[in-house]
Amino acid sequence: MSPLPVIIDCDPGVDDAVAILLALASPELEVLGITTVAGNVAGALTAKNARKVCELAGRRDIGVFAGCERPLLRPQIFGKYKEGGGLAGDTLPEPTMPLGSSHAVDFLRAALAAPRPVKVTLCTMGPLTNVAVALARDPGLAARIERIVSMGGAFTALGNRSPAAEFNVLADPHAAHVVLRSGVPIDLLPLDLTFQALATPEWLSGIEEIGRIGIVVHRLLTYFDRSDLARFGRPGGPLHDPLVIASLLWPEIFSGQSAWVGVDLAGRRTLGHTCIAWGGAGGRAANARVLTQVDSAAFFLRLKERLVLFVQGVSGTRE
Amino acid sequence: MTSTHCGKEAELARPIIIDTDPGIDDAVALLLAFASPEFDIKGVTVVSGNVALEHTVRNTLQVCELADRRDVPVYPGCTRPMLRDPVYGLFSGQGGLGKTELPPPTMTVRETHAVDYLVAALTDAARAGEPVTLCTLGPLTNVALALAHTPRIRDGIESIVMMAGAFRELGNRSISAEFNILVDPHAAHIVFEAGIPIVMLPLDVTHQAMATPARIDAIRAVGNPVTDVVADILTFWDRKDSKRFGGRGGPLHDPLVLDYLLAPEHYGSDEARVWVEHSSELLMGHTVADFWGKTGEKPNAKVVLKVDADAFFELLGRRLAKYARG
Repeated sequence: MSPLPVIIDCDPGVDDAVAILLALASPELEVLGITTVAGNVAGALTAKNARKVCELAGRRDIGVFAGCERPLLRPQIFGKYKEGGGLAGDTLPEPTMPLGSSHAVDFLRAALAAPRPVKVTLCTMGPLTNVAVALARDPGLAARIERIVSMGGAFTALGNRSPAAEFNVLADPHAAHVVLRSGVPIDLLPLDLTFQALATPEWLSGIEEIGRIGIVVHRLLTYFDRSDLARFGRPGGPLHDPLVIASLLWPEIFSGQSAWVGVDLAGRRTLGHTCIAWGGAGGRAANARVLTQVDSAAFFLRLKERLVLFVQGVSGTRE
Repeated sequence: MTSTHCGKEAELARPIIIDTDPGIDDAVALLLAFASPEFDIKGVTVVSGNVALEHTVRNTLQVCELADRRDVPVYPGCTRPMLRDPVYGLFSGQGGLGKTELPPPTMTVRETHAVDYLVAALTDAARAGEPVTLCTLGPLTNVALALAHTPRIRDGIESIVMMAGAFRELGNRSISAEFNILVDPHAAHIVFEAGIPIVMLPLDVTHQAMATPARIDAIRAVGNPVTDVVADILTFWDRKDSKRFGGRGGPLHDPLVLDYLLAPEHYGSDEARVWVEHSSELLMGHTVADFWGKTGEKPNAKVVLKVDADAFFELLGRRLAKYARG
């Protein structure tokens, strides 16, 4: 089977970095390009960080395209863990590969519009500004997207960047609204799902043993202690974004159901809150498949296996 | 029932005012309160909510008479929410008590408006240093208007124990809001920002207290006129929504407010800063909580999240069994 063509839209961010590594380590996927957006940290940093990760993976050939530097309407916010530039200070060297010459939005428009046997799956890990601008500029693109698999939102989990809202949606709720009403098939991975995938100290110490990439992943994920014992009841920070890639690679370890999902754009306390009508109840047509369960043990096992194989492949061919 | 307003018991009884909009679960809550000597019921204030005020008032009087508590002063209150158009409940039937027809009431309401009564009674309570526990079972319109009128009545309130809100549980009257808050989110906001100790029982806890067919059978088996009515109205209350509730029955929201005061050991709760959304139409009436102190704002409510439902239904059954056989 030919690999699934994907574009990764992200704001690295350490979990974005692990997601990129997982994607590049997976022969099932063909990464057509990486678009970056302001989010966890400023746009200039996410564009740099994505290239750092590509170079770590030995994939200087990947096109990295810098995108929107501000949310559509609201004042800008960054992630809670913005210190250290998004990728744990100088853990990775300054990148030498160049940025792609197109703006991320223009790359998205061109790459999506180009005729190809299989439509592109868009994997989004940050605020949806780039995608919303592309869809607003050219609504016909919606029909050219196989699916948007998006880390975003929170339902029964409650928020993370505000009491009511998940960061990616809170950072650009209007963009999320544009994407959710675009008609593109959407798989949504909310905090309800990602809070099940805590990178435990045990898993992290195992990952450190698999070579340079493992050491880097370990350092990225331990630069801040993202544990929240009061909230999660056990140690370990949630590894949000790699689940986007994992849901494409291993759909069998996920479950979800269709729903209408709305984004609050007006509330004083609820801006960016996502609300849900399961099954599209109450006359609201379902606009997303919301993933609600992941076999976390299987996910972490497979993620590690993939990285082990990748490290062996990289050292076999390139070192 | 004999009056509980005399003797040593009354001295120790907790002074309460019940603000209510019967409503099937409100009716059961009133019947539980009337059968509990731990409460000194100063008054019952009525508000538009599950049904229009004329019905909630009539239902309150009928329930008082069913319980042989014609001595309870009933004060009719606000006929509509502060700003929004009224929305009514979906599960109490047209008149508010399902298909059950209680005899037309012969007792009458007090002439004082509920808001004026709250202001006066709570002012007195503050002056006497005997603060009252306010039990709210409906939209918070009466309470908010009393607070807006005379803010210092807060000193006459021991705490407000309210059935209100929804957090991890989704909404019941809209996809994201619980009914009592949705009906009058502006009133709820006023109450939550008033600096009064609040205990809230959101859908997260009330959905654990399902009036299942087996629990209704146990109530019916008591065999007095009150339990006959309770069993009938709770049978009507069945949501027939196993998908949401994991079985038959309806969530018995309001009586938990009284049970919480009678038996706090039945409950588990967390302190949180709670806000009421009142400016977004999509999220109107949604309650937001900071359970983990992430915002740095001081908690303004104790949010009750767990109930031992068997223990609650057992206590409810025992109390309802105290009503005289017909």
